[in-house]
Amino acid sequence: MPSAIRQAPVNGITKFTNCRLVVGDRLVDGDVWVSSLTGKILQTQAAFYDQRVLPDETIDLGGRILSPGMIECQLNGAFGFNFSTVLEDMPQYGKKLKEVNRQIVTTGVTSYIPTVTSQTSELYHKVLPFLGPSGALRQSSDGAESLGAHVEGPFLNPTKNGVHNRNVLVEAQSFQDLEDMYGADNITPNPTSSSPLPIKMITAAPERGNMSSLIPDICSRGIIYSVGHSEATYEEASAAVEKGATMITHLFNAMRPLHHRNPGVFGVLGIAESLPRPYFGVISDGIHLHPTTVKIAYNAHPEGFILVTDAMHLVGLPDGAYQWTNGDEENFIVKKGSVLLLEGSETIAGSSITLIECVNNFLRWSGASIPQALKAVTATPAAMLGVKGVKGTLEAGGDADLVVFSEEKNEDGTPRLVIDEVWKFGARVF
Amino acid sequence: MRLIIRDQPEAASTYVANYIIDRIKHFAPTPAHPFVLGLPTGSSPLGVYRILVEKYKAGEISFENVITFNMDEYIGIPRDHKESYHSFMWKHFFSHVNIHPNNVNILNGNAPNLEAECVEYEAKIKRVGGIDLFLAGIGEDGHIAFNEPGSSLASRTRVKTLAYDTILANSRFFDNDLEKVPKMALTVGVQTVLEAREVVVIIIGARKALALQRCIEQGVNHMWTLSSLQLHPHPMIVCDEDATLELQVKTVKYFKSIEKVALAQGFEQILPSKIRTGPAPETVIQSPRDEAGSPTIVSPQPTTSRLLRASTPASEYPIRSHSPDGDLVPDRMASRIPEPALTTRLTPTPDTQNRVGAVGA
Repeated sequence: MPSAIRQAPVNGITKFTNCRLVVGDRLVDGDVWVSSLTGKILQTQAAFYDQRVLPDETIDLGGRILSPGMIECQLNGAFGFNFSTVLEDMPQYGKKLKEVNRQIVTTGVTSYIPTVTSQTSELYHKVLPFLGPSGALRQSSDGAESLGAHVEGPFLNPTKNGVHNRNVLVEAQSFQDLEDMYGADNITPNPTSSSPLPIKMITAAPERGNMSSLIPDICSRGIIYSVGHSEATYEEASAAVEKGATMITHLFNAMRPLHHRNPGVFGVLGIAESLPRPYFGVISDGIHLHPTTVKIAYNAHPEGFILVTDAMHLVGLPDGAYQWTNGDEENFIVKKGSVLLLEGSETIAGSSITLIECVNNFLRWSGASIPQALKAVTATPAAMLGVKGVKGTLEAGGDADLVVFSEEKNEDGTPRLVIDEVWKFGARVF
Repeated sequence: MRLIIRDQPEAASTYVANYIIDRIKHFAPTPAHPFVLGLPTGSSPLGVYRILVEKYKAGEISFENVITFNMDEYIGIPRDHKESYHSFMWKHFFSHVNIHPNNVNILNGNAPNLEAECVEYEAKIKRVGGIDLFLAGIGEDGHIAFNEPGSSLASRTRVKTLAYDTILANSRFFDNDLEKVPKMALTVGVQTVLEAREVVVIIIGARKALALQRCIEQGVNHMWTLSSLQLHPHPMIVCDEDATLELQVKTVKYFKSIEKVALAQGFEQILPSKIRTGPAPETVIQSPRDEAGSPTIVSPQPTTSRLLRASTPASEYPIRSHSPDGDLVPDRMASRIPEPALTTRLTPTPDTQNRVGAVGA
């Protein structure tokens, strides 16, 4: 009996159709199939001919933009939870972190590297085990996924401390100093354990102590070395890049300004020394950097340009003065809109901007196209973190972390993106 | 033969797409009564696929109960190679519509036993009751599927070596490296196409003009395999103005006038209703048709012999199209002649062939 087969069993496959896909520097019309069972983007042709499956659900985006989920490389905390916090009852830390992850994902950030500021050794030992990669179970209900912790300090230059507590800043002479500071389990792979290292990235000043010569040891562990909070000259920064530094933490902020006779850290974005140019984070909140500075940074090396928020845990909270424990200091931070200042000063205390606001600022200031702007929070950070093809991509085989954007127009005619939906591991979470 | 001529290629594609949609809708396919569609690849049908996809997205047609059979596939390149016909079909059609993968049939050019693959393909077509509509394009040399010049008009699904011209022409898709171009393909045969209840051919562009001329104005010839369409009871060729460049003005005017008159009479050269709705579900199960079951090429059998045989499988559907004047012959000479005792196998072995040449040959 001839029969046309109609109903297939439920297979967790969702097809997005009629969408504009962020592919490289272009928006292309196309479809994306994702599986909530594997949490991945499907090789559709193979799925059709081999597994003979049809999507359970087809979602017509009506020409809206489908982008890989955003990746945040500088986030100090969110929704009232500061990652650099020791709780009396540390298991509570894990619980709070999970809650925060579920909230972060609603902002379109599907992966991030939780950032711990300069702290005492004790705090690192306590919090880092909680902040390691959290996506192993591939549970969409867990919300945003940590790709590993970013320890910003304490091997920083005291003259470029920003709001970091100067009293905890130290120098490292040997790798032992790093292990002692962060905890050996957090920085050195244990051959008997299969779990990934908690630390993914270290920001340190290469000119301090013996740091420059420790860079190869750091990189050999799969940890990214990022230049930041540094007085490094152009020569010192170039030497760090030669040793393996592949990232610059919040370019322009907490480093020597560009001087025409010594371009400092910014100088490595030129290719004068024939070295590969590093990636670099840029805070486009309109406070840390002038819009034109952001533009210059982008034009200097578009392929390395990563938008970051450097947001404090106050992001998502109402305006007001908030107590802030920074090591042994007790401070107040005043939040007014997305501006955070140390109470009684003009010192910028991080930001409380969301990543999508950074993207929209960048779109407004730079005249970059939407895919170019989104690349700075998807494909580029993924490449920097060594997860190219897994995160920040719509290619088959990548993780199905997606954001659906509507495109609106600002008054000046520049585009503005609005988050409509967020998907994590092939399931809708917002 | 219906020849539909449109000024622009776009209009020709639209005509074909709408025709297919009308056919499917009228057929009203169900799971038990699916519409079976034969599909080509190549540049000519691209416009048709694009419009079919548009119409699907506009909700005008569903492919839920449509079964497809593709004409051909290369041998020896990976299935998901960007130039494979699997990839072509996925990219231009299947990925955009609601066709179920289990209803999609494409020859497997990487099958361990290619001959068995071909035999099974033919059997599969029979199992679903035959092809209701075979859409086709043609090559510049008038080939249909990969049945290049010299292919037997009685051929069936088989392994085919590609003509050198075709390999050269294809090299542009394979980095201009002849080494990378597949030299062989699996293809349905001319006979496989002709056994479809209806064949619709889309021909676009001046490059195809000579082929069209050979197939329409000249005789049946294995050097222009599309010309075999003349033996099919319900062929339709849809072409653009450029493709008619080699035709006589008289021919073009003739076919245009037929279409015009038919339209004026409110009659669109439609098929007999039995073909339009397909075989009734209960009659679908049938023993595989034997060779003589072919309604078309039973050469060297004279066509008249089939007309005379009331029970020939060709009469599974009426040989004649509807005629607008209603001038049907109520009674045929054939019905008065006793049924000749034919063996079922008419070709190709002459010694077992039962000639019925005495009957009006």
